[in-house]
Amino acid sequence: MSDTKTLTFAFMEPPFESERTVTFFRLLDAALERGAGVRVFAYEGAVALAFANQQPHGNAVHDRDSAEEDHPLTKDWIAALQEKARSKGIGFEWINCGLCVDERGVNDVIDGCGRGGPPDLWRYASDAHNTLTIGTR
Amino acid sequence: MSHYLFIQSQDPFTEIHTHHQFALIGQLHDAGHQVVVLLVQNGVTPARRDAKSDLFDDIVRRGVTVRADHFALMQREIGDADLKDQIGVADMDLVIDAMLAGHKVIWH
Repeated sequence: MSDTKTLTFAFMEPPFESERTVTFFRLLDAALERGAGVRVFAYEGAVALAFANQQPHGNAVHDRDSAEEDHPLTKDWIAALQEKARSKGIGFEWINCGLCVDERGVNDVIDGCGRGGPPDLWRYASDAHNTLTIGTR
Repeated sequence: MSHYLFIQSQDPFTEIHTHHQFALIGQLHDAGHQVVVLLVQNGVTPARRDAKSDLFDDIVRRGVTVRADHFALMQREIGDADLKDQIGVADMDLVIDAMLAGHKVIWH
């Protein structure tokens, strides 16, 4: 455990808007697969990624109900990464920027995700072996 | 000498910023740094064999190591045989390995 390197990721993309979100989650998964600890500082729109009240929906145009459509939800992706980290005995932390949460009203987050601010990003980046910031463009 | 990995998500056909992004990549390479570019998302489009982008083709010609994300290629139905000769295929592991090796990893 003491040899585990921790990688920090800063991300600002909201759910369902951009391909960047998929790439971001693929990076987190790849990091865990490599045995690296992961810390995420989510800010701006990305604070909605962990929103507990996300709901799937069907697709009336293609005549699929909610179960058949199987709409992916980012909160479920985060939960899956948390479980993967637990099974591997490595760390996975997720902090949302509190100001960004407040302005968007997405205060209800799934278990294991917390609320913080820029000092947490500074702490995460300072303590990490390496840090990647993914901009919105 | 430093090691750089650029995650290139923007493509030169629709994003004006790629002019400066590719210029930076080329300058770092010419200055003697180890530079690798991983194309992701629509960033893979100039890697197609017949795609014409002076900006992109120039950095390939200058010897910058360029890889294209396998997942992005699959999504766009670009097969390995459809890529320019100098372009290899890679996955997100390339990014994580670079981060773990302490390289400077930059998202474009």
